[in-house]
Amino acid sequence: MKDNLYQNQITEKEIQIAEERETILACQAGNKKAYRYIVEKYKTRAYYAALMYTKNREDALDLSQEAFYRAYKAIKRFDTSRNFYTWFYKILKNICLNFIQFKKVRANSSDEFDETTMQPVDSSISRPDEIFEKSEQSEYIWRAIDSLNDNDREIIILKEFDDMSYQEIADTLNIPIGSVMSRLFYARKKLLKKLELIYA
Amino acid sequence: MRKEKRTCDEMSVLMMGLMDNELSESQKAQVLKHLASCEKCAAQYKAFSNLKKETSEMKFKKLPEMYWDEYWDHVYNKLERGVAWIILSIGAILIFSYGAYEMTYEFFFDGTISLFLRIATGIFTFGIIVLTVSVLREKLMIRHIDKYRSVKR
Repeated sequence: MKDNLYQNQITEKEIQIAEERETILACQAGNKKAYRYIVEKYKTRAYYAALMYTKNREDALDLSQEAFYRAYKAIKRFDTSRNFYTWFYKILKNICLNFIQFKKVRANSSDEFDETTMQPVDSSISRPDEIFEKSEQSEYIWRAIDSLNDNDREIIILKEFDDMSYQEIADTLNIPIGSVMSRLFYARKKLLKKLELIYA
Repeated sequence: MRKEKRTCDEMSVLMMGLMDNELSESQKAQVLKHLASCEKCAAQYKAFSNLKKETSEMKFKKLPEMYWDEYWDHVYNKLERGVAWIILSIGAILIFSYGAYEMTYEFFFDGTISLFLRIATGIFTFGIIVLTVSVLREKLMIRHIDKYRSVKR
């Protein structure tokens, strides 16, 4: 019974992979409407991945849509034997990082200063209620995650919130699976320490 | 003692695989065996598991349905506009080239303008063209060769 269920799950996954590959081949042949299947399939993941960077709903929507547009423009270069989402994620990440950099430069050169800190106003400051349903627990955890360095934060987000497998993380970050495990270990360890400090 | 520490270090990393269900059966058995015999690692595993449970309970704020309904339309519009921009650019280049050709022809074959001025203008125009091509070539080369162009410095 359990074996049958497992077999069915594998077959379903294989069908999905085959469907996705066919759709991408159609897109590579110039069929724009076929791309809808890909966008519908990954739009939620893309939006929330962008939201982790932008921490703002409107920006996350804009950037994730822009990433789908750029992915389509580059789709002829995509190797269909590889995972689409990990390839797409790299495009999305670059767009988000450029956007954040642009916003930082603009904030630094703007005349708007926070009266209390006398620092330039930066709208990318993390607000967990923009990303997660409001709860005290979420707020603490997000504060801890947000205070990690870029590499640690990224791997935690890929695993815990984007729900990537180790293979997908390895492909995305161009590192071996063993390094995924060790980087996750150190990132989670640091996260625990940060949480201890916050709870204290 | 040193060997024990090495085992704990190795197992700590493998613990991640156990927690995320990414280990083979033999690796799983190896880690579980170690956890049963090492209190320190067992306590650490419990802390990691609690953390994972807490993060998995964090719920993303839902986006109103209308944003999802319009999502594809926005992407499709961008795709269409992309093609429109290319067509527009080709048209603009053709018009500009024709205009430039006509102007050049009339200027250089106009006997009323002094030969000196025509030669000087020709050299000046040639310099601008060479400079533009050189800058464009450099930009394109960097785009293709520089692997680190997206690295934040």
